[in-house]
Amino acid sequence: MGFSFDYLIQGFATALTFQNLFWALVGCFIGTLVGVLPGIGPVSGIAILLPLTTVLPPTSAIIMMAAIYYGAMYGGSTTAIVVNIPGEASSVPTAMDGYEMAKQGKAGPALAISAIASFVAGTISVIALTLFAPVLANFAVVFGPPEYFALMFMGLSLVISLSGRALLKGLISMALGLAAALIGQDPLTGASRLTFGTVTLNAGVEFISVIVGLFAISEVMLNVEARIVAISDMEIRDWMPTRADLRKCWGSILRATGVGFFLGLLPGCAPSVTAFVAYDLEKRVSKHPEEFGKGAIEGVAASEASNNATSTAGFVPLFSFGLPTAPSMAVLLGGLMMYGLQPGPMLFAQNPQFVWAVIASMYIGNVMLLILNLPLVGMWARIVRIPFYILGPLIVFCALVGTYSLRFQILDVWVMLLVGVLGYFMRKLGFPIAPMVLASVLAQMLETALGQSLLISQGSVLIFFARPISAVFMALAFLSIGRGIWAQVQAKAPEVAVEDVD
Amino acid sequence: MKTQRVADIAVGCLVAALGIFVLAASGSIQASMAHRLSPRTFPYVIGGLLIVCGAGLAFKSWSIRGKDFPIAWPDAEGVRTLVVTLAILAGYIALLNWLGLPLATFLYVTLATWHLNRAKWVTATVVGLIAGVISYVVFIQLLGLSFPAGFLLE
Repeated sequence: MGFSFDYLIQGFATALTFQNLFWALVGCFIGTLVGVLPGIGPVSGIAILLPLTTVLPPTSAIIMMAAIYYGAMYGGSTTAIVVNIPGEASSVPTAMDGYEMAKQGKAGPALAISAIASFVAGTISVIALTLFAPVLANFAVVFGPPEYFALMFMGLSLVISLSGRALLKGLISMALGLAAALIGQDPLTGASRLTFGTVTLNAGVEFISVIVGLFAISEVMLNVEARIVAISDMEIRDWMPTRADLRKCWGSILRATGVGFFLGLLPGCAPSVTAFVAYDLEKRVSKHPEEFGKGAIEGVAASEASNNATSTAGFVPLFSFGLPTAPSMAVLLGGLMMYGLQPGPMLFAQNPQFVWAVIASMYIGNVMLLILNLPLVGMWARIVRIPFYILGPLIVFCALVGTYSLRFQILDVWVMLLVGVLGYFMRKLGFPIAPMVLASVLAQMLETALGQSLLISQGSVLIFFARPISAVFMALAFLSIGRGIWAQVQAKAPEVAVEDVD
Repeated sequence: MKTQRVADIAVGCLVAALGIFVLAASGSIQASMAHRLSPRTFPYVIGGLLIVCGAGLAFKSWSIRGKDFPIAWPDAEGVRTLVVTLAILAGYIALLNWLGLPLATFLYVTLATWHLNRAKWVTATVVGLIAGVISYVVFIQLLGLSFPAGFLLE
């Protein structure tokens, strides 16, 4: 089950055959398209294409699927940066700084750094995957519900730093996100909550609708009201990041890769969570935390690096234990099983040529994506200069397609509109919107993990402090909360608008 | 609601009221004995959080006097443009299932573009047409997503 150079070289030999290279390229291309196009995320992209790959040999098919998956992770940042539509929760932190950069005429460097960060993080993660896959997989097994709860709780405590000086407003924003996530069926018992007897609301609120509403729709409203001519009327000065930008970002990319990779080994720890954690970490270590949210290039680099590291790390538990860490991984698992490959400890022993060919193809895929994406930066960056009277309605069209296609329920689109209007007022009144996004993403996982933990401990909350890993997370969360409250008590200032957040 | 302080007091009270509403609505959730975590617990906690934070914000803003600043609300023209834009969007959503994605998209994009720049009605029609065609060719035909095609195309 261990690493062997022979296997890796054999893997490269397989991955570098014309056929496999071709399908990897097709996968990268489709993945990028899937990431950029609204309405079709990596999960549906892979799911739609899965039956079509039956004509391919298993290795080529999985190479292509994997390429679609990480290609979509690359592409997802584009809409977040250019038009402020984070198609997935993992691109939310990218949008917070990337879109600000685009408004300042720096869409080129933002897109380029996101491609570079994705490439570096993707490559480092594949190296880690190559060397340590079987060993690292054990990491996932020590994580039970209490550890998950503690991790999610720590994630929620990021609200404190995301709120800046407006703690109460940040907490209200968080509570609104949690309340929105409550609507629908209880994840554990299936009881209807806050549905007011309507069947429609039983389906619950999709967090993507919340994200798209808060970011894209409220942004369009602000731009309409301000009668802007274009998102950015600044002359696009540079297409690529400067040397100084790159120097600033190196540390961020490496730290975010570490955070993204290790947290990505855990089932259920989606790129959305790790992107927020990495972004928050960068804000804390930065010498200029006030620049975050106003176009800090490190913010874009950290968010993109971590979500790519997380998506690569997800292959570790998938290959080693057959544990899918995310919905898209579950579809890939389905793909593996369709070809009679049973992921798990025996996969490395029984089908080494397959596993190592897929791993080797990831190195190649990362290079392909960089080559595919960098030249396109100029094209994407020009979008911000399209007159807003044309771009605005098109953004709304994309947002509608994106939310409607989640479940093909018109409810999701109405939620997007309502949340958009709410987001507009929140931004006008100085409420940070990021805590609401974070809360709506984490709510269900948090509650499920809490319910399961209490079942294990027979109702005692001490379980979170008795197990070492969860105790560390809980301590970090309480420290962060304590620090935030202390800072509030000390500063007797009004709840100031926190432009640096949204 | 012209200044931040007044707005914060008002919004704080509104949030607290929402919290009371959530608490009241949580009482009618069917509780289950089989689970340690009742489906009512989270809603109660969140309702409580809304009340505490809302009241806290209202009280804090009320007690701090002095520093205050105006909120940048739009002028009458801005409000009108915004309301009409939202109304067109609401119409798009309401008619989506009936008209189908392509036709509804064409009408929405054309109308919204024209509304934002009256002088460019030809551009508006062309952009609307392109969006409508893309919505049909890419999302319905090519990707086979189950968007409503509308009575004209079904």
